[in-house]
Amino acid sequence: MEIMARVVFGFYAALIVAGALMAVVERGLVRSLVGLIATMFGVAGMYMLMAAPIVAFMQILIYVGGVSILIFFSIMLTKARPTGDEAKERPLRKKANSLLAALVVGIVLASVLIKFPIPSLEIPRQVNGPDLGDGLLGPYLLPFELISVVLFVAMAAAVALAWQQWGKSK
Amino acid sequence: MSALVLYQLIALFLLVTGLYGFLWRRSLVAMLICLELMINGAGLSIMAAAQLTPANAVLGQLGTLLVMGLAAAEATLVLAIVVVVTRRFKTSEMIAASELKG
Repeated sequence: MEIMARVVFGFYAALIVAGALMAVVERGLVRSLVGLIATMFGVAGMYMLMAAPIVAFMQILIYVGGVSILIFFSIMLTKARPTGDEAKERPLRKKANSLLAALVVGIVLASVLIKFPIPSLEIPRQVNGPDLGDGLLGPYLLPFELISVVLFVAMAAAVALAWQQWGKSK
Repeated sequence: MSALVLYQLIALFLLVTGLYGFLWRRSLVAMLICLELMINGAGLSIMAAAQLTPANAVLGQLGTLLVMGLAAAEATLVLAIVVVVTRRFKTSEMIAASELKG
């Protein structure tokens, strides 16, 4: 990597790390959502660094534009209070247990990664937009169609779930 | 360290923080946020493996796109479930919905 690429990589990595820590540690839900959005922007920047601009813009469109708005709606609809169960003090042992459970996974995978490094290309592969389109309409047509079915089913199920509950409350 | 290992370590960091938050947080919306962190890490890992090795790069990019689509579908469905749980239990915290009837 060149110097400039290293600097930019460091910036995005710092954005991701800070955002992820903010998302996990902050007690207010809106603040953790802001951390999540920072992480998403950082990941989009890393896609850009890996010479995948289409996926980077999709990341911004779908995650920052779509999913984060959905999460914000669910924060508003559930009227989460800052004095809820989340704010109560819990024993430190439980915190240590969940930290341990996450760290075991991380340490095992990181040691495998560092001990058996896979040779990496110096320059990321170049994939043009038309190649992606050919892939979607050629060899990977079935997953492309299936994902639209999954999206439709998810949306229909969401509407059905909320609707049924409306009928009961009247 | 090579570029691939650095990207994979960042993705691993996202997995670990997401997993910790998923186990530690109590409100359902916060757990959804941590789930999105983990899915972002998965996308980053797939993309790094596709772009920085001689593997099929088109397949990797399309895989990342499909992961994003699945994440959007999952977020929609989880939002509906959170709304239903909130209406029934009057709170969006996990502990209220963790007991069986009977």
